[in-house]
Amino acid sequence: MNSADMIFEKLQKLNLNDIVVQNVREDSSQVRFSRDSKDIHNRWIEDSTSVFVSRGKKTASTVIKDYSATDSALEKLIFLLDHSPDNESFMGINPEKQDYSSIRKGTKGDADIQELASVMIDSAMSNGAERVAGLIYNSFSEVTVITPYNRAEYNLGGYELLIRAFRGEMTGQEATHTGMNGTRPEEAARSLGEKAAITASMIDHRSEGRAGKFRILMSPYLTGNIISYGSSFFSAYAVEAGFSCFADLLGKTVGKENLNIVDDPTDISGTGFRPVDDEGTVTFPKSIVENGVLKTFLHSHSTALRSNAKTTGNAGIISPTSFQMKIKAGESSEEEMISSLDEGLYIKNAWYTRFQDYRNGIFSTVPRDGVFYVKNGEIKEVWGGIRISDSIPSILSNIDMISRETQNVKWWEEIFACNMPSVAADSVTVTKAF
Amino acid sequence: MKELLDKALDYAGKNAKWAEARYIEVESTGLSYRNGQFDGIDSGKESGIAVRVLNESYSSAYFDTTDWEKARDFIDDAIARSKFPGKKFMGTIREDKASWKITQRRPVKDFPLEEKLEIVRDSDRIMESEGASMRINFLGDKIINGTYLNSTGANISWETARIQYFYMFGVGSGDKFEQSTGQYGASKGYEYMKELNLDEIVKSEVSVLRKSAEAHRPEPGTYDFVIGPEISGIVAHESCGHPTEYDRIIGREGSQAGESFLTGKEFPFRIGSDAVSVIDDPTIPGSYGYYQYDDEGVRARKRYLYRNGMTSEFIHNRESAASLSTEPNGGGRSSSWEMEPLPRMSTTYIEPGKYEVDELFEGIEKGIYMKSFTEWNIDDIRYNEKYVGKEAYLIENGKITDVVRRPVIETNTISFYSSVDAVAKDLKFYAATCGKGDPEQGCDVWMGGPHVRLRNIRIQ
Repeated sequence: MNSADMIFEKLQKLNLNDIVVQNVREDSSQVRFSRDSKDIHNRWIEDSTSVFVSRGKKTASTVIKDYSATDSALEKLIFLLDHSPDNESFMGINPEKQDYSSIRKGTKGDADIQELASVMIDSAMSNGAERVAGLIYNSFSEVTVITPYNRAEYNLGGYELLIRAFRGEMTGQEATHTGMNGTRPEEAARSLGEKAAITASMIDHRSEGRAGKFRILMSPYLTGNIISYGSSFFSAYAVEAGFSCFADLLGKTVGKENLNIVDDPTDISGTGFRPVDDEGTVTFPKSIVENGVLKTFLHSHSTALRSNAKTTGNAGIISPTSFQMKIKAGESSEEEMISSLDEGLYIKNAWYTRFQDYRNGIFSTVPRDGVFYVKNGEIKEVWGGIRISDSIPSILSNIDMISRETQNVKWWEEIFACNMPSVAADSVTVTKAF
Repeated sequence: MKELLDKALDYAGKNAKWAEARYIEVESTGLSYRNGQFDGIDSGKESGIAVRVLNESYSSAYFDTTDWEKARDFIDDAIARSKFPGKKFMGTIREDKASWKITQRRPVKDFPLEEKLEIVRDSDRIMESEGASMRINFLGDKIINGTYLNSTGANISWETARIQYFYMFGVGSGDKFEQSTGQYGASKGYEYMKELNLDEIVKSEVSVLRKSAEAHRPEPGTYDFVIGPEISGIVAHESCGHPTEYDRIIGREGSQAGESFLTGKEFPFRIGSDAVSVIDDPTIPGSYGYYQYDDEGVRARKRYLYRNGMTSEFIHNRESAASLSTEPNGGGRSSSWEMEPLPRMSTTYIEPGKYEVDELFEGIEKGIYMKSFTEWNIDDIRYNEKYVGKEAYLIENGKITDVVRRPVIETNTISFYSSVDAVAKDLKFYAATCGKGDPEQGCDVWMGGPHVRLRNIRIQ
């Protein structure tokens, strides 16, 4: 009997309505490097169990790590449950029997991440980088989810590789994730190092950027950054709370016909693989935006019932979340997209995306790691000192070209694990610092 | 689990040139209301041991097992990994044996749930009655116990507690929508919530924001600015605190939060006018990022990061200090037991000056008083930055006049600090959660400062 079973058994005796016990046993490693040498190797070996319970309309949750103190932790949980007000919006967890037979199991990767780091560093340095920084993760978890209706066991994991190359004041950055059955990391390490160095070496001085409205070709990283931050607006929680720029747009056009946005937690080639959500529902790919039309918000069982919808398998029980976003591939090649750019910007990456207005999706983000001014289809300058200052709805509606190449991208807290193409959008507002 | 700590250090120390072992236990509770409805309650108790060893490079094992045989295997793996070549800077000091704790007049562990609920419910109700149609209110607390040991003799134990209040609300609709977020926190017991006077804060915030939603954007042009303590604080944090974290200067955060505009400079380096000094001080009693010893067992102290317009001291952990051949200065913080200590801020603020607040407005013909901010961001070398005003007013002939909506300062660090010509005597702090590291570590901090006057700021 593992910790989840032991805790579930105890909870069953406590006159509760809903119980979700989720145990995660993790064994993950990371190596970080900078200035071309290793900084630290980290390894995490943890066993933790999260518990959600309800009685009537009351809900409470906790996390248990010290199993010798399980009884006192559950006693406190029940005390908090009994003394809390009703959570009127809670409608229960998904009671339907789930079929977990098709869930693919994975194993922990066996590559030596310190060797991978050396490959990535060498690749960047031999392609023009003056110095590099980055990291590699090899993650693996065994997860057990138990509810009164279902019991699921599955694995999560994969590699994450990140490298940033520096040459003078120029930088290039590449980052990917490969799930448990994804691309072998050795090839990714070599290729990412090379690409980051090439981006940093394209032009040797930076020019001051200009403010204005530009057509922008956004790489998979910039697209991933905007969609990562934007994905929270698709959550039914944000919609109900009134903080989503998509709140009034269900069934309406939010993009051109070629825009298809999907959440696909079933793709095991990425680390966003998530076969079962937080209440035991089997996940599935779902079109959030189909041919430019907003088709659904992301739901748990409870938020779905409140909206006369069905769960999309995206619990967070209280606050649904996306797991692995994708924009479906288009028909253009990235090369064509650059060569067809009469005048505009090709931006590889951005960070520090912040919103001044969630209801209208108004934000700004700071481009980095390859900010190119393009004229007559050719890269002419590298720009600094600018930011994209626009809105999510405006950018989505202005996307008119999507590349046929897509890429697994994930970077730190800025890009969630996703698979993105390059996209081109017209009339994007760029501001600059004075 | 804590019983393993001595054994873990002893074992690691015998197999490494240097070793440390850290045990941290965090007991937390959080509850929230969303648009008048209770959203549930969370609690948890996290604990674990971090063992870090240094041979030819650093390696750490983070584990929560109570089984010594397993723990020893994890430490063995870390020792083996530390024999791989890499950086091996290690700042040594005269190690201390000490114990510290904060004083709580209304201890977190005894504070009744009903009173917590009342605080959040009341705030939600006030927001609603003042006209905020969209509201999220969250109250959280945590009790932290820790012990730090290392192979050079440090033995530090501590007990602290922190309270955090967070809200987000929106007023208006369509293009008249305005939003506000607020975060308040302290290393105290629940007496903090009474001292905070949250009811008055949210009442005033909603009322002001409703006026902002109806106001006009200021005309583009060049203005003198008076900024309030909230903006002094975010500027001090973003464009002084972060770029003076020495691990950034030497590139260790290069692929995440970035390097620093100070990388490669000769020090001291001029960053602005003589009127500007910025301090980071972990030892301010009650502050949200308060500590007496950092997470590497180094005694905390106040540090001048910028002094009279020049760089002064950097924020160091043991590793970054050794890379500069200096002593660590108590800046090594980790956000939880399972994270490595990095050079981090605690309470970062612009040092108060000699002027009364009213004096800053005198003589300004056309200006903007920007009291608080909403959206902000900064580039990865902490140079190109943007602050969008939340509560802001026109200044005309020395007087505060009309409310203006979302004025935008988009500038760079040197221009900003060079434009400062007067700093007031007042001082106020705000709580924040500072992000850095990979895995991401959110550290509890205060940031603040006085009112500050800036000359000739261009807005778009």
